[in-house]
Amino acid sequence: MLLFRSEEHIDRWCARWNQPRGETLTLEQGLGLGVWYTDRLHSDWRRKSPDEAEAFFAGLGLTSPFWSLG
Amino acid sequence: MTPDRRSLPFDTQVRLAVYDHFLDTGRPPSPSELAASVAASQEDVRAALSRLHDAHMLAIHPESGEIIMANPFSGVPTAFRVEVGDRVWWANCIWDSFGLAAMLNADTRIETSCPCCGDALSIEVQNGALVKGEGIIHFAIPAKHWWDNIIFT
Repeated sequence: MLLFRSEEHIDRWCARWNQPRGETLTLEQGLGLGVWYTDRLHSDWRRKSPDEAEAFFAGLGLTSPFWSLG
Repeated sequence: MTPDRRSLPFDTQVRLAVYDHFLDTGRPPSPSELAASVAASQEDVRAALSRLHDAHMLAIHPESGEIIMANPFSGVPTAFRVEVGDRVWWANCIWDSFGLAAMLNADTRIETSCPCCGDALSIEVQNGALVKGEGIIHFAIPAKHWWDNIIFT
C-alpha cells in the first residue's frame, strides 16, 4: 500500500516493476482505513472476521471483489 | 508489568509488551527485553511470538525470530515515517501510517515519497481529520492475498 503522486505514476511504476495494477484510494479513504487500528492497543483486541473486515471496507465504499475475503 | 496484565493470557501479555516497547522506543523489543518485561524465559517468549505470528497478530523473521512488524509498526525503517510531536515511528505502508494516527489518537505528520518519481509527499492529520496531503493510494494485492506474503503486501 503505497502513496503515489498521480494515477500516471502508478501506471508507470507498475509497468516498470511488473507489478499488478490493483485499486486506488483517496487520502480520505486511507484516513478511514486507519480506523482499523483504533483498538489495537486494547487487551481484548482480536482480528476481525472476514465478514467484519468486508463490512469495514464497505463502509468506505470498497465493495469490489478486490476487497473480498471469501 | 501492571498487576492486571498478569491475569491476561500469556500471549496477550507478550503482544501488549511488544506494542509498549514500540510506543516507548520506536523499535521492536529483543527477545531478552521482552522476556524481562513479561517476567518469562526467552524460550517462552519466542514460542509466544511464533504463535502470534501464526495467528497473523504480528510478523517475525522466519529464521531469526525477531519481530519485523507489529502492525501498524514496522520493526525496521521504511519509506513511511510517522511523527507525533518530536516522537518518530516507522509504519509498514500508507494504511499503517494512517493506522498509527488513529491508534495514537494524536495529531500526526506522515512523511513518505512517490515510489515512481521519488518526490516527497507529506500528510498531516489533526483532530482525526486530514488537513494537508496529496497523492493517490495504490493497493496492488487483493485483500484475500495480503497475508500470503505480508512483507510484500
